[in-house]
Amino acid sequence: MNLLLDFTQEISMFHRQSLHRVALCMAFVFIGATASTADSPLNIYVVNYPLKYFAERIGGPHVKVTFPVPADVDPVYWTPEVAEIGAYQQADLILLNGAGYAKWVGKVSLPRSRTIDTSREFKDRYLTVKETMTHSHGAKGKHAHEGPAFTTWLDLSLAAKQAEAVFGALARKRPQQKDTFMANFLSLKNDLLTLDSRIKSVVSNRNTVPMIFSHPVYEYLAKGYGLNGRSVHWEPDQEPSPGQITELSNVLEMHPAQWMIWEGPPITSATENLKTMGIRSAVFDPCGNVPPEGDFLSVMQRNVSNLEPIFR
Amino acid sequence: MIQINDLEFHYPTGNFSLSIRALNLARKEKTAVIGPSGTGKTTLLNLIAGIITPDRGVIHIAGTEVSRLNDNARRRFRITSIGFVFQDFELLDYLDVMDNILHPYRITDALKLDASVHQRAGMLATAMSIGDKIKRRPNDLSQGEKQRAAICRALLPQPKLILADEATGNLDPENKTKILDLLFTAVDEDDTSLLAVTHDHELLDRFDRVIDFRDFGNFGF
Amino acid sequence: MDSLYLAYRYITYNRIKTVVLVACITLIAFLPFALQLLLDESERQLMSRAVSTPLIVGAKGSALDLVMNSLYFGNERPETISMEAANRIWDSGLAMAIPMYTRFQARGFPIVGTAMDYFDFRNLRVASGRPLAVLGECVVGARAAEELNLEPGDHLISSPESLFDLAGVYPLKMKVVGIFDRTHTADDLAVFVDLKTAWVIQGLGHGHQDVIQLKDPTLVLKRSESNVAATAKLYHYTEISEKNIDSFHFHGNTEVYPISAVIAVPTDEKSGTILQGRYLSKEETQQILRPANVIDGLLQNIFRIKNVLDAVVSVVALATIMAIILVFALSLRLRQREIQTIFKIGCSRLTIAKLLAAEILIIVSSSAALCGAMLMVVHQFTHDLVRMLFIG
Repeated sequence: MNLLLDFTQEISMFHRQSLHRVALCMAFVFIGATASTADSPLNIYVVNYPLKYFAERIGGPHVKVTFPVPADVDPVYWTPEVAEIGAYQQADLILLNGAGYAKWVGKVSLPRSRTIDTSREFKDRYLTVKETMTHSHGAKGKHAHEGPAFTTWLDLSLAAKQAEAVFGALARKRPQQKDTFMANFLSLKNDLLTLDSRIKSVVSNRNTVPMIFSHPVYEYLAKGYGLNGRSVHWEPDQEPSPGQITELSNVLEMHPAQWMIWEGPPITSATENLKTMGIRSAVFDPCGNVPPEGDFLSVMQRNVSNLEPIFR
Repeated sequence: MIQINDLEFHYPTGNFSLSIRALNLARKEKTAVIGPSGTGKTTLLNLIAGIITPDRGVIHIAGTEVSRLNDNARRRFRITSIGFVFQDFELLDYLDVMDNILHPYRITDALKLDASVHQRAGMLATAMSIGDKIKRRPNDLSQGEKQRAAICRALLPQPKLILADEATGNLDPENKTKILDLLFTAVDEDDTSLLAVTHDHELLDRFDRVIDFRDFGNFGF
Repeated sequence: MDSLYLAYRYITYNRIKTVVLVACITLIAFLPFALQLLLDESERQLMSRAVSTPLIVGAKGSALDLVMNSLYFGNERPETISMEAANRIWDSGLAMAIPMYTRFQARGFPIVGTAMDYFDFRNLRVASGRPLAVLGECVVGARAAEELNLEPGDHLISSPESLFDLAGVYPLKMKVVGIFDRTHTADDLAVFVDLKTAWVIQGLGHGHQDVIQLKDPTLVLKRSESNVAATAKLYHYTEISEKNIDSFHFHGNTEVYPISAVIAVPTDEKSGTILQGRYLSKEETQQILRPANVIDGLLQNIFRIKNVLDAVVSVVALATIMAIILVFALSLRLRQREIQTIFKIGCSRLTIAKLLAAEILIIVSSSAALCGAMLMVVHQFTHDLVRMLFIG
């Protein structure tokens, strides 16, 4: 019995010592980590331009934001090389858009402790894109690849929430800069919400006016501001095929739209084609990648200005 | 060489007793002791060797009064100065012939085992015609060879006195003669004496002197 | 004086007796020492890992199974919980949550599906190759790599759960991208994959040829305007490569996908306590455990058994020692004549005692040497023995 008691004591001693050791190690790692990086800017990797913009606005000189997607590639469909995945894994902070944006994220390994899904807070408000084809194989039955809609930031109130998530992550990483980050975030939030109110007031005149979205990327814009739009699959730099024209005509029968919203300036032949059908063109750039000029805010302001004629 | 005076001995139990008024053995003398069993021949050898101590009397061997030594000194004296040859050879089964010959050196610090002793042991074995058998164990030897090995063991420490207790008793006539020859040669060549208890009456005339216990009985001579 | 030499001669002459004596003494000394060695090692192995794992969340059920599975990747399979369990902990902000899915095997080694955070948490460093990056890759523990002779660039195929599991799990050919440094823990014997790769192995995520653009007519059962039905001949990839990774996808909500446990690393002591408090309600389907407590309980039981064994061994030892004394006493009697002889020649009683002592010394020290050698051999294998005995 005594022997047993001894063993128990020994174990609990051992246990306590090890706990102390672990705690000590963790403390050192923590101190070490903060000491070595407190001065250098936080190394942040993002998956789209809006997050880069948010992080840079909030973090200022305390962050170094990397967005490795080339300017001519849609970040939604971009896939990183192994070396680029390694760079993401090494980052202090990885900002994801969530809502299924950047499919590659679901196929690589990222450290969750350093990864922030900026839209997770409103995941119950996610929207989906209805695809036209379903398929089935094996025993699983029919399933459509109806992916989630991912341009969440086009509802600027949601963009503000994403910005808030970015702020929260930065503040947790650098508590000593929290006040600076807070001030920067509030300024950004103010800009975003001002824009949000502006769109609402633009739309409020005639929000039932039917329109066509050239691509299914405007779900959050439509939902957020109550737009009455239907999506087709047109590319701004491609001439519409006869099939696409027919499809559009079919849609127009039920949905007499006079405007088509484009992701970028469409080629002239397309606009000419549309004109013959009585449809005018307007550009609303989702701004997923870095704009050639201006920044997220200026692009969005231009977008709103482009919308104004529709609701006049 | 041996001087015994007024020796008296009796065993604590039983009514056997031995008393010797006087017995002298000269240097290089070969003496045979004969007599029926129970007359005290072996007791005499044990008294001389100091294995048992007399009740009274004096035993001198080569100038040492054995009867006055303490137990430890008697053992040292015995192992260095007396060579014992037994009827049953009393070799150790687990040692080879050479180790048996060297055995006394290994069980006392009164004798020092060095290279010269090894050399002498080899020479002795050769002289006793068992030089080619020193790596054998006793069980692989004939009776005569066994006794020759036992004699080598007794002679190696160069004793002043050789005590043989029916050393030829278990041997065939040919070997009896040989063993006796070897013992006599040793006595002649070395500065030693021989006291041999024996029943082999045909060998008696080779001894210098014969002491018959039958003649003297328990009352000594 | 050469007692040791004579004793040695005697011992070698009586070989069988000596061997039996040495064997008896060796065994009786070896047993308790080996037992102690094993227990020390199991305590070291089990406890050090348990202590460095603050909290574990899993389905309600055997606490020991849960801990054994998630800490040592044992064969016990606790009931699964869903990924929501990990998200719940993340969302609480109280702790870091590391999901663990330990269900599949590859050539006898456990496949551990987890997140990158696990490697930081366990301080696992890639010795050669690189960390996990893309779906379908694995990083192998040092000893698993050694035993399977794997290097970065090799492939490793997951084992089917059962031979007849035709409809369910397709073996996945994983690409070995890295080998971890040796840590002398269960991590050395594991094959690590991303949680999502583990789900692919389970068949929850899969890739296939783009059905809409199928060219081979034998693959398509029925094609209508809105649906393409493919035959079962449609090839399921058993390897995720650069070419087909785009076709890999998960059906349904991955938040309800299975995991076996979550390792929770609280931000501080208080958060840990609060987190534990959240699993107390009666309707709760999950349990939260401090592995150190569970392992402590296990060790207590082992020590209790050890005490019983110790008692048995000491009784046997006593009996053996008595038998050995008897053997020596009998051999003394057998050697009476020899003792008489050397006594007559002139050796002292002390010498006879020395001879016997030398004999005992030789026997005991050879037993000790043999026992030491055996213990060294056991020591070499304690790591695996402990795994065999306690983890399975």
